[in-house]
Amino acid sequence: MADLVIPSLLETLYMVAFSTIFSLLLGFPLGILLVVTEKENIWEKPKFNQILNSIINVLRSFPFLILMIVIFPLSTLLVGKSIGTTATIVPLSVAAAPFVARVIEGSLKEVDKGVIELSLSMGATTPQIISKVLIPEAMPSIILGVTLTIINIIGYSAMAGAIGGGGLGDLAIRYGHYRRETDVMIASVVIIVIMVQSIQYLGNTLSAKINKK
Amino acid sequence: MKKTKALSLIIVLLISVLAGCSGNSSDENLIRIGVTPEPHSKLVNLIVDDLEKQGITLEIIEFTDYVKPNLALADGEIDANFFQHQPYLDDFAAAEGLDLKTIGTIHVEPMALYLNESTSIEEISQESEIAIPNDTVNGGRALILLESHGLIKLKESAGLEATEKDIVDNPKNLKVTALEAAALPRVLDEIDGAVINGNFALQAGLNPTKDGVIIEGKDSPYANIVVVRSGEENEEKFQKLIKALQSDEVKNFIEENYEGGVVPAF
Repeated sequence: MADLVIPSLLETLYMVAFSTIFSLLLGFPLGILLVVTEKENIWEKPKFNQILNSIINVLRSFPFLILMIVIFPLSTLLVGKSIGTTATIVPLSVAAAPFVARVIEGSLKEVDKGVIELSLSMGATTPQIISKVLIPEAMPSIILGVTLTIINIIGYSAMAGAIGGGGLGDLAIRYGHYRRETDVMIASVVIIVIMVQSIQYLGNTLSAKINKK
Repeated sequence: MKKTKALSLIIVLLISVLAGCSGNSSDENLIRIGVTPEPHSKLVNLIVDDLEKQGITLEIIEFTDYVKPNLALADGEIDANFFQHQPYLDDFAAAEGLDLKTIGTIHVEPMALYLNESTSIEEISQESEIAIPNDTVNGGRALILLESHGLIKLKESAGLEATEKDIVDNPKNLKVTALEAAALPRVLDEIDGAVINGNFALQAGLNPTKDGVIIEGKDSPYANIVVVRSGEENEEKFQKLIKALQSDEVKNFIEENYEGGVVPAF
């Protein structure tokens, strides 16, 4: 069974790691933009904010399986292929990026308005407020949000098998569900549970540590 | 006319759903049949009027999954299903301990290998990537098709549920990738070949007999069957159902519309 589970575990780790990186690269700036361009915020752009909001909502509405299929041309453009483990990173990142944007938006909005006003009165520029005030202040919450994102991507990656991406979720579906090999299903699910538990634990610990500072 | 037909169908469906909710599960004039969309649903839709004239209401429930229709049948949520072939039923029923019975064979949807550039299996080059369906039954069926033409050799014990991990001999070092059956026609352009189920090939405009490089024979054991719960196979309503499905009307429809992509098996 190890010869089935280990390659699948590696596929899942590979997909989740890269999708997390790319979705953060895409989603983080979007999340910041969502906050600062809001009405009565430090870089007020209501029209732009509205459009950005709609785009994010549209992307978040796509059922993942459909997103994986409609994104084929983009995958082919970026990685030269639309199927396989590497190609799965494209739809995973695209699906997770708007989620990241919302998570970051939520975290940044938790920052006390008073602190921002204080910085403004001291003459801080918008980029300074974002990098020196908003992000550091929101860091504990951002870390919890990233944790949530990684776990979400693990969940999405269970569907990777539809486009030949493999991974533990695919193993559980194909061997556990279709072939009814219960031991394989249990093994895959247990490993996923352990992964999720460890990531949540790490996220919580890190967030608490920063919060104390 | 079409609209009223559709509307009355919806009403009939709604009523029967409501009737189903009230626990009326073994009505002798109602058949709730679970089908997959193409061509099963189309074929069954052909006989709705015919059965209605005989006093039988046919309620069609579409599934897109191969596990649920048998479980739903065994649980009494539906009365018959029409989506699978005998090897799959045998295997599934044995594994799940279900007591189901085949009451008729209707058609074969031949699975075939489609190649992107090559026109024969001899032309397939080393390390070509061939995609197959990722569900066990169709994946196994695809691998067996490849094996029967000497492209690969499977582990003896692999049986009908072989996966790409059961390949023991691979003279052309083919890279076999399993993915969602419905996605296969879409990726054919970017890989070397794909083994595709008849129904998905048809939906994508591929014709198994014309475009397929290797194809399952008409005598394939994978003929699609209508299945009911054991003990109910002699009920009159099911006899009428099979008679209607094995009628000339259905046969002509298959031959006219699928041009060899679906072959009548009666």
